[in-house]
Amino acid sequence: MSLSQFIPFLPEIFLAVAGFAILLAGISLGKRGARGLSLLSLGSLAVTAILIWVVGRPVEGAHTILGGMLFVDTFAVYFKLLTMTASGIVLLMSAGYLERSDYSPGEFDALILFATLGMMIMASGANLVSLYVGLELMALSQYVLVGYFKLELKSNEGAVKYFVLGALSSGVLVYGISLLYGALGTLDLGAIRAALTASDTVNWTLNLGIILVGFGMLFKVAAVPFHVWTPDAYEGAPTPVTAFISVGPKAAAFAMFLRLFLGAFHPELAQWRIVMWIAAAATVIYGNIAALTQDNVKRMLAYSSIAHAGYALIGIVAGTAMGLWSVMVYMLIYTFMNLGAFGFVIMLETRGYAGERVGDYAGLAKRHPGAAAGMLIFMLSLAGIPPTAGFMGKLYVFSSAVQAGYIWLVVIAVVMSAVSLYYYFRIVVEMYLKDGDEDEPAPLVRDRWLDAMIGLCVFVTLFLGVYPAPVVGLAQSGVHALGLG
Amino acid sequence: MAFLSAHFVAIVFYVLAVLAVAGGVGVITFKNPVHSALSLLGTFLMVAGLFVLRHAEFLGAVQLLVYAGGIMVLFLFVIMLVNVRRLSPDAAFLSRRAPLAVLSGVVFGALIAFGVLAGSLGHPGGGATALQMVQGHVMGNTEAVGWTLYRHFLVPFEIVSVVLLVAMIGAIIFGRKDAGLEGRGGRMEP
Amino acid sequence: MHIEHLLTFVTLGPAAGALILAFIPGRLEKVQRWAALLISLAEFALSCLLWANFNPDIAGFQLQTAKVPWIPQLGISYHLGIDGISLLLVMLTTLLMPVVIIASWRSISEHVKAFHISLLMLTTAMLGAFVSLDVFLFYVFWELMLIPMYFIIGVWGGPRRIYAAVKFFIYTMVGSVLMLVGILYLAYSNHLQTHVWSFAYSDLLKAGRQLQMGHSFFTSPQMLVFAAFALAFAIKVPMFPFHTWLPDAHTEAPTGGSIILAGVLLKLGTYGFLRYNRPMFPDAWHAFVPLILVLAVIGILYGAWVALVQPDMKKLVAYSSVSHLGFVMLGLAAGTIASTEGAVLQMVNHGLSTGALFLLVGVIYERRHTRMIADYGGIARVVPVYTGLFLLVTLSSIGLPGLNGFVGEFLILAGTWRRYPVAVIFAALGLIFGAIYMLWMVQRVFWNPFTHEENKSLKDINLREVLAVAPLVIFIVWIGVHPTTFLSPMEAAVRSLLMH
Repeated sequence: MSLSQFIPFLPEIFLAVAGFAILLAGISLGKRGARGLSLLSLGSLAVTAILIWVVGRPVEGAHTILGGMLFVDTFAVYFKLLTMTASGIVLLMSAGYLERSDYSPGEFDALILFATLGMMIMASGANLVSLYVGLELMALSQYVLVGYFKLELKSNEGAVKYFVLGALSSGVLVYGISLLYGALGTLDLGAIRAALTASDTVNWTLNLGIILVGFGMLFKVAAVPFHVWTPDAYEGAPTPVTAFISVGPKAAAFAMFLRLFLGAFHPELAQWRIVMWIAAAATVIYGNIAALTQDNVKRMLAYSSIAHAGYALIGIVAGTAMGLWSVMVYMLIYTFMNLGAFGFVIMLETRGYAGERVGDYAGLAKRHPGAAAGMLIFMLSLAGIPPTAGFMGKLYVFSSAVQAGYIWLVVIAVVMSAVSLYYYFRIVVEMYLKDGDEDEPAPLVRDRWLDAMIGLCVFVTLFLGVYPAPVVGLAQSGVHALGLG
Repeated sequence: MAFLSAHFVAIVFYVLAVLAVAGGVGVITFKNPVHSALSLLGTFLMVAGLFVLRHAEFLGAVQLLVYAGGIMVLFLFVIMLVNVRRLSPDAAFLSRRAPLAVLSGVVFGALIAFGVLAGSLGHPGGGATALQMVQGHVMGNTEAVGWTLYRHFLVPFEIVSVVLLVAMIGAIIFGRKDAGLEGRGGRMEP
Repeated sequence: MHIEHLLTFVTLGPAAGALILAFIPGRLEKVQRWAALLISLAEFALSCLLWANFNPDIAGFQLQTAKVPWIPQLGISYHLGIDGISLLLVMLTTLLMPVVIIASWRSISEHVKAFHISLLMLTTAMLGAFVSLDVFLFYVFWELMLIPMYFIIGVWGGPRRIYAAVKFFIYTMVGSVLMLVGILYLAYSNHLQTHVWSFAYSDLLKAGRQLQMGHSFFTSPQMLVFAAFALAFAIKVPMFPFHTWLPDAHTEAPTGGSIILAGVLLKLGTYGFLRYNRPMFPDAWHAFVPLILVLAVIGILYGAWVALVQPDMKKLVAYSSVSHLGFVMLGLAAGTIASTEGAVLQMVNHGLSTGALFLLVGVIYERRHTRMIADYGGIARVVPVYTGLFLLVTLSSIGLPGLNGFVGEFLILAGTWRRYPVAVIFAALGLIFGAIYMLWMVQRVFWNPFTHEENKSLKDINLREVLAVAPLVIFIVWIGVHPTTFLSPMEAAVRSLLMH
C-alpha cells in the first residue's frame, strides 16, 4: 500500500477533518450561528465534491485502492455526489429550523457530515468490512439525529425504536457476513464474485449468509417486513432529520444493496431473487395500503417512502444492467421529490406540530398559491404522473422488470401506484378543494433558504420529468463498474 | 475414554456454546438486573473460551479484558447508581406479542440451523493452529491480528474511530444538561 | 411556418398560451378571459390550416413532424401525425374550446386565471393524445389530461365536487396504469424481435399483431395486453359497467367542464379502441367482439332507461351519453366500413349535440340555479329563442333526419345490420327510448302548464350565449345536410384500418 493510493481517498479524509472542525466551531458558537455553520458545512461538502471530481474519479477504468478496501469507479462517484447533494439540501433546509428551535446547530451539522462520510464509504466499499463500517457510521449518526430534540417524547421514542431495531439488523447483517466468510474465506467483493461464479454447487451456508445480508439491507432501505421502525422514527425525528433519513441514507443503502446483490452476489441471482421478489411485492402493497389511513403527513410520507423502496427493489429483482441503472436513476429522482415534499412540511411547522396533520393544508392554495403549486408537483411526482420525474423513474424501473420477464410484479406495482394517488391527493384535495376552517391558520415559514431549496427540488423534478436523458446517461456509465452488461 | 479424547474439541465446543446461549437467555429472563448482568458475564466468558478453542488466544484475552473486565464493570456501576432492584414486568406487552416473538425466533433459529448444518456437511472445519500465515510470513496469533488490522484493514479501522467519535457525540448530546432547554419544552415558540 | 411544424404548433399552442396566461396579473380577469378566447380562436384557425393541407386520398399518417428523440435509452421520441380519423377529432376539440370559454364567461367567477390555464393545458393533452405517433407519448398526454380535469371538476364544480373529482381521478388512473404495463410489454416484445427499443406506433403495431394467442385468457399475451388497453379505454368511454363515475363527474362539473368531458374526453376512449385495440390485436379483437357487442347494447338500453327517470336535466344528459357512446362502440365492434365511419362521425356528433345540450342546460341553470325538471314547465312562452335552440339540439340528439345524429346512427345501424342483426334490433329499441326520454323532458320543461311563478321573470338567451352555441348548431345542420364533407377525409383511413 503506497502513499499514492491515498490520493483518491482525499475527499473522505477532507470531509472527516471538516466534520471535526464544524464540531469545534459549533461548541464555541453555542446556540447561535446556525446559518453560518450550515454554510460552512455546505462549503466543505462542495470542496469534497470538487475533490471527488478531481482525484476521486476513475480516469483509467475502475480499480480498488487501499488494499482492496474501496472502489474508485463511476458507480461510487454517482452515489457519492447524490448523497452529498441530499445532505447539502438538508443542511440549508435545517438552518432556519434550528434557529427557531432551542437546540444547538454545531453537533447537528457535524453529525450530518459524518453520516455523509459513512454514506460515501457505503457507495465505494469494496470489502464487506469497509461497507459495514460505513453503514454503522451512517446509522449511528442517524440514531443521534433522530433523537436530537431530546426533550420531545416523540423524538426519544423514535430514536430508541430506531436504535434497538437498527442494532438488531446490524447483528443480522454481521452474522450473514460471518457465514459468508466461513463459506468462502474472503470478504473481498471481487473475490466473492469470482468464487461464486466458479462454483456450481448449491452451498446452503453461503445462501443463508446472502439471505441474512439481504435481510440487513432490507432493514436499512425500510422494506417489508423490516419496516416497523420507519413510521415512528420518521414521525418523531425533527422534520429536517426526517427529510434527511428518508433520502440520503436510503440512497446509500441502495448503493450498497446494488453493489452487493447485483455485483458480488450476482452469480447467485437465481437463489436470492425469489426473496427479493416477495419483499418488493410486499413492500409496495403494504406501504401503499398503510399510507391510506394516515392523518399525520410525516407518517404518511414514511409509508410512502416504504412504498418507494419497494418500487426500487423491483429493479434489483430484474437483476439486469437496466435494472441497475434504473434503480440509480430512481434514487436520484426520489431524493429530490421527497426532499421537496418534506421541505413543505418544514414550511408549515411554525406552530408546534402544525403542518403534520393533513387538515393543516386546508385552503393553502388560496393563501399561498405558489407553495401549493410546488407541493402539488411533488405529490404528482411521488404518485408517478407525467410530466414529473417520478413518472420517469417508475417507467425505467418497470421497463427493466418487464424486460426481465417480471410482468406480474409490475402489474402489482402499477395498481398500487394508482392506489397511492388517493393518499397523495388527500393533500391536494385539502390544499385546492377545501377552505381552511380555522380562523387563524398557521402562517408559513418565511425562510429564503428553504424557499430556494424547494425551488431547486421543483426545478429538478420538472426538468427530469421532461428530459431525463442526461441523468440516465450518467447512471448508465456506472453499470460497467459492477460488471453487468 | 477413547471417545472423549477423540472428540475433546467438539465436546468442549458444545459445552461452551450451550452455556453461552443459556447466558444470553438468562439476560432477558432474569427479573433482577444484577442477575441479568452476571448472566451476560457468563456469555462473555464462554465466548472467550470459544476463541481460545479456535486458537485465537489474543481475541480471547481481549474479550476477557474489554468485555468481561471493562464493559461488565460499567454495567454493574450503572445498575447500582440507578438502583433498580426489580424490573416490573410489562404484562400487556408480553402477553400480546410473546407468541409471535417466540414463533419468529423459532423460525429464525430453524433457518439458521438448517443453513449451517446443511452447509457444514462435507465441509470439515480447517485445523486451527497457533501460528498464522499472513502475506507469506509465519507469525504468532497476536502479531497476525495486528498485521491484518493495521495494514490490510487500515481504512475500516480508521473509520471505526469516527464511528466511536459519533457515538461519543451522541452520548454527550443525550447526557448533558442544557440550561436553556429545561422547562421550555424545547420545541420552538409559537 | 414550415408545414412540418404545423402539428407541433397546434398541439403545443394551448400549453404555450397557458404559459402566457400565467404571466397576466390575477386582477385583470377580463384580460385573462379575452386572452384565453383569442388563443383558442387562433388554435381553431391553425387547425383549419390543418384541414386545408390535409390530403384525403392518403390512408396513412400525414403532416408528420420530424422524429425527435426524447428518451433515447428506450427509443422514445416526439413524433406527431394525423390521419382522417384524428383530423376530425382534432377539429372537434379546437371547435369546442372557444365555445367552452364563452360559455364560462359568467359562470366561472373564482380563480379565473387558473381555470383558463387548466382548460388550455387540457386542450394540449387531448390534442396530443389524438395526434401522437409514439405510443409512449400518447400515454403521457393521456395521463396529462387527468390533472386539469380533476381540478376543473374539483375546484369549480358543484356541492359534491370533491367526491366526484376523486372518483373520476381514481377510476381513470386505475384503468390507465395497466395500459402502461401493456405498452411496456409491447415494447419489450418488439425489443425481443428487433433488438431495438422503440415505442413508435408503427413498430408496436407489428409487435402487437405478432403476440401469441394462447389457449385461455390468462396464458394469452395478446388477450392480456388487449385487456390492459381495453380497460383503460372502456373506463374512459365509459362502457357499461365502468360508467359509474360519469354521472357524478358530469353533474358536479361546471358547464364548461361538462362540455369538454362529454365532447372530447369520452371520445378518447372510443378513439383508443379504434386506433390501438382493433389494429394492434386483431385476433384478440375478434375474440372479444361478442363481449363488446353485448356491453355496447346493454349500455345503449341501460343508459336510456336510467335517463328516463332522472329528475335532474344534467344527469339525464349524462346518462344519454352512456347510451350514445354505446352506439359508437356498437359501430366499432361491428367493424364494417359503414359502421366504423358512422361510429367516427357519431363521436363528432355526440360531441356537438351533447356539448350543446350541456351548454343550454347551463344557460338556464345560471338564471334559476336549479336543474330539476320539476322546477320548470311551460317556459316556452317566456324564453322562445332558447326553446327553439333547445328543441333543435334535442332533435339532433335523438337522430332526426336532416340533422347530424341521424347520419351517424343510420350508418352505424345499417353497417351493423349485415353482421349482427340481433344487436341492431336491440339498439333500435334504444333509439326509440332515446326519443322518449329527450322529448318527454322537453315537454315537461317547456310545454307543460306554467306552475312556477319564479319562471315568469326568466330572461331569454343573450347574445353571448347564442354566440357560444351558434358554432355547434352550424355544424349540427352542416353534418346533417351534407355529411360527405366530413365522411370523405376519413374514408381512406378507415378503409386501411379495417383492411388489417
